[in-house]
Amino acid sequence: MSSTEALREHEAQERKANRARAKAGRSVIFKIIRCDGPGKPSRWESFKVPVEPGSNVISCLKWIAANPVTIDGKQTTPPVWDSGCLEEVCGACTMVINGKVRQSCSCLIDEYAPLEGDTITLEPMSKFPVVRDLWVDRARLFNALKRVKAWVPIDSTYAQGAGPKESPEHQQTRYRLSECMSCGCCLEACPQYNIEEDESKWDESFIGAHAISQARLFNEHETGKRLKGERLEELSDKGGVGDCGNAQNCVKVCPKHIPLTESIGAMGRATTIHAIASFFTGKK
Amino acid sequence: MGNDSGFMNRHYFLLRRLHSLSGILPIGVFLINHLLTNSTIAWGLVNSRASENVAPGTIEQVGEMTARRVGTFQHEVTFINEMPFLVLIEVTLWVSIAFHAILGVYFARTGKSNTARYAYQDNWRYSLQRLTGYIAIFYIFYHVATLRWGWTFMSPTDEPWSHSQAASTFSLALRGQAQGIGFGGILVSLFYFVGVTASVYHLANGLWTAAITWGLTISESAQRRWGYVCAGLGAGLMLMAWSSLIGFLLLDVNHARAVEADMHAAHGTHVETTLPVAEADH
Amino acid sequence: MSDNRVIVVGGGLAGLAASVRIAESGVPVDLFSMVPVKRSHSVCAQGGINACNEIARQQGYSEYEHFDETIYGGDFLADQHPVLEMANWAPKIIDLLDRMGVPFNRTHEGFRDLRLFGGSLFKRTHFAGATTGQQLLYALDEQTRRYETEGKVTKYEFWEFLWPITHEGRCVGIVAQDMRTMQIRAFRASAVVMATGGCGLVFGKSTNSVICTGGAASRCYQAGAAYGNPEMVQVHPTAIPGADKLRLMSESARGEGGRVWVPRKKGDTRNPVDIPEEERWYFLEERYPAYGNIVPRDIATREIFDVCVNEGMGVDGQNQVYLDLTHRDPDYLTVKLGGILDIYEKFVGVDPRFTPMKIFPAVHYSMGGLWTDYTPGDYNPDAPKPGHKSGSPIPVDAQKGHGLTIGATNNMMTSIPGLYAFGEVNFAYHGANRLGANALLSCIFDGLCNGVSVVNYIKDVKEEAPQGVFDEAVRSEQAKHDKLVASTSGGTGDKAYNPYQIAKELGDEMTAASTVVKTGPRLEQAIAKIGELMQRFGKVELGDAASWTNQSLSFTRATGDMLKIADAILRAGLLREESRGAHFRKDFPERDDSRFFKTSVARYNPETGKSDIEFVPVKAPLVEPRARTYGKSDTKKETKETAAAAS
Repeated sequence: MSSTEALREHEAQERKANRARAKAGRSVIFKIIRCDGPGKPSRWESFKVPVEPGSNVISCLKWIAANPVTIDGKQTTPPVWDSGCLEEVCGACTMVINGKVRQSCSCLIDEYAPLEGDTITLEPMSKFPVVRDLWVDRARLFNALKRVKAWVPIDSTYAQGAGPKESPEHQQTRYRLSECMSCGCCLEACPQYNIEEDESKWDESFIGAHAISQARLFNEHETGKRLKGERLEELSDKGGVGDCGNAQNCVKVCPKHIPLTESIGAMGRATTIHAIASFFTGKK
Repeated sequence: MGNDSGFMNRHYFLLRRLHSLSGILPIGVFLINHLLTNSTIAWGLVNSRASENVAPGTIEQVGEMTARRVGTFQHEVTFINEMPFLVLIEVTLWVSIAFHAILGVYFARTGKSNTARYAYQDNWRYSLQRLTGYIAIFYIFYHVATLRWGWTFMSPTDEPWSHSQAASTFSLALRGQAQGIGFGGILVSLFYFVGVTASVYHLANGLWTAAITWGLTISESAQRRWGYVCAGLGAGLMLMAWSSLIGFLLLDVNHARAVEADMHAAHGTHVETTLPVAEADH
Repeated sequence: MSDNRVIVVGGGLAGLAASVRIAESGVPVDLFSMVPVKRSHSVCAQGGINACNEIARQQGYSEYEHFDETIYGGDFLADQHPVLEMANWAPKIIDLLDRMGVPFNRTHEGFRDLRLFGGSLFKRTHFAGATTGQQLLYALDEQTRRYETEGKVTKYEFWEFLWPITHEGRCVGIVAQDMRTMQIRAFRASAVVMATGGCGLVFGKSTNSVICTGGAASRCYQAGAAYGNPEMVQVHPTAIPGADKLRLMSESARGEGGRVWVPRKKGDTRNPVDIPEEERWYFLEERYPAYGNIVPRDIATREIFDVCVNEGMGVDGQNQVYLDLTHRDPDYLTVKLGGILDIYEKFVGVDPRFTPMKIFPAVHYSMGGLWTDYTPGDYNPDAPKPGHKSGSPIPVDAQKGHGLTIGATNNMMTSIPGLYAFGEVNFAYHGANRLGANALLSCIFDGLCNGVSVVNYIKDVKEEAPQGVFDEAVRSEQAKHDKLVASTSGGTGDKAYNPYQIAKELGDEMTAASTVVKTGPRLEQAIAKIGELMQRFGKVELGDAASWTNQSLSFTRATGDMLKIADAILRAGLLREESRGAHFRKDFPERDDSRFFKTSVARYNPETGKSDIEFVPVKAPLVEPRARTYGKSDTKKETKETAAAAS
């Protein structure tokens, strides 16, 4: 068992233990960071929320939205948050829960606040500009996918026969990488990835584990390889794979268990080879 | 400044990799060599031939063990000091360290430690790598300034370090006095302990991350295996570093001086005869 | 031509396929989505995508048979020409997705792997792990991003579609609102493609994403677009009830021996594993001794529903039954069903290897949607053909014949010229019931095939609508918006006018009256209830007056639009006095082709605020309707395959 797997197993056991001692019919305190908009001050607000079996952070937020009264009896506005599929496959509802980043839809209250009066804190991701309350703007994350040209450069969408053949093992490697849902957990937990509101600086700021892994994914595809050189150039530049500090938090918080640190190593090797090859044979 | 960052951006990959490389070669290799040399002040005691150049009377006075330790250490120091183009080697080292330090600070400032929230072992090592880097900069500067450049005003003793009296003058610089240890000596010794420990950690962990940066280790298990190698190397270096410190702290300065004087006498002609040869090389 | 732009609303499979195809032809596209397009609901699809393939072809399968299965599965309510064309395109679409880099599962030799799926005797379903929809969406998202960097596609993410703008009967643009700044703006376009998905949230909790309100479709409907077969809504038998949504539990759990039961004693609160065998009611096994737990999907759905809703026998008095696998070896279960059991454990926090799962049917897919037109292709037999016998040669003229005239400008155009509907929001392809793994296909087919129609349409558009038309549209939407914001209660707190309460009552009522089992009286009751909710909605009190990122406002607005769609669903369901596909009327349990071999077309009546329903014969069918029995011996086989395929 790798250390990452061991850590996951340990965390799963902790959650299971909490589930086992969860009290029925209890109420839980939700401490939520509220912020009315960019540049506005933020404040904490607490809510007392009755917990049903199977409650998760989303269902509690919905309850608060329908009953927006703080624990002190103050009427407030319904909290704002981002969500989509609620199946942990779209990535929208990512936030910082009890200090750690994760999807809120799959965060069961029984596993995090098993006893009466236990507290759950909700904060927006800190590496992206807040839109309002728990909703952040992750545009920079998608911009990173443009930087590494994360696509297969097909000629056209017209019928031109099948794609390249591929071994099942290779397909499995690509599939694992391709499960990345652009949630941003790896970026939130990364000490090298910092908030950058100035869009003009995005192309020079650290690109993050997700995009490095996507570059690897497309370099692995027969047709995707056509852009390999351009991807490696981007990853060699400022903000590329060289800026990774190897804290390796990314792989530990990735909800899809994507081997991000492996991708970082692989892209490190690819950029090394690319640089040596360019030195001896490159035209530039 | 704008030009500087433009230069930086244009050659970012090269600078990044040179930064990584410089930590290993020459700095890391030198550190290993340096600690090997220094630890002879402790491990010299198993070197049975070390007291060949020490007078029997002196051996009687200081004891066989001290004679061996100081004898071995001084022999190594002399060997180094007789290397051709020593200044060139030294300057290369200083430039490399300065380069590694300046870029290192620049790079470290791009990160923001978050071990409070993500208290994973790897994350702690990330933060420690940066912390130990800062410590090493101060430590190495102090170390070189006081011992090599003779800035004795920063040292608890007035006597500068001398390569012909390497053990005694260093022991003095460390403890501040010939017998026992003073307040300044405690501070300097602690600083040395922290500094050398940080430097060794920085090298061992840096070797581990460099293997990922260059793409030598890719899979998690490869990284784990290489981690064992780096940890082993780090432990070995740590042992050498700490035993050197203990060796110097436990040294009697007067005894060491006696041994060094004997060795100098035995060595004197040798120095004179080799000088013209070194010049001929130019 | 140079000024011609196309607006695509919705960034799921259909919207992205359309954007890519249109941008590729040199026409700039403005792509609107309430979420970053990569987070669209298409990510939730799991099973796969159907297409005839070389292996199946050599075994006797054909595109024609795929077409025939889809029509038969949809109980003959689908538009047959577009379905034929879709089946023809399917293999080419798989090839294209393959070229885009979709990691389809592979055989040892490196070919695309195939799995069995419901409704077919042939392996014709291509898949990428258990997240095929996600993988297909990502492939199209990547291509869209590529065109975005080339400046051919402009994304407006976190923008909500408010209204289609028409001028002289043609759609000339849209009004949309930035969900962050709340700015309301008009956008010009020569054509607008709606690709906004289904309306699962009308039923409260469903397997759909939180954005699937059907609000956009409802706004087009209120603006005059006809809505086809609104009553046709697919309910999946096994989903995991959740506090926030219902997550799909694959049918393979039953295929691997899962038993469905409830305690014989009403309100039995004991731990299920402590309830002895004789005190458990295995109602499926009791009522269907031959097939037991592996009865077809619609039957399972109806029985579970009946036991809970009509008999009140649900576990813990709630709408849920046990799906029990605990009698199977846990290791075996891990090997066969690991993935889906993990989902259950992740979201329910209970290990189904040792504790029976609690499941209930859930609204899953809207077959109905905006009504669309088409121009038939060159395959037009003199008379409809009889049902296709599996493996037999296809009709000679169908072999090369097109179902659609490719590029005809009215293909998948709504009743408003210039306004198109692609994907789940289009009513055309699935009739009264959708076959598994056909949804992804219909979405991509619409975008690729009918994207060409959009490009052709705008070539003829010359006139420029005057600016006043756009200003007026913005004014109108701004007025609606301001009225809602002004309704902020500030805490008077009468629950009856709370938008969340109205939405909850809407969902509860729709689920109870118009999902699995419907009756005339119950539908009438529900229509009255919706009427009452509409009245209450007229005095709705918003909980948030913010002029920045007001989610309450967006939700409240969608609630009003969902009420309109709900009304259409109920009225069409009431008037369709027969049972067909997903639409089961207890008071009319048989299919009645003489009266209802027809599409129900709902039109919004602005005078009454209600829906006017008209029944229009299904256009020139290519195959004759036949009894949808899945032949008794075949039924068993088919069900087993469905179950096996779902794993």
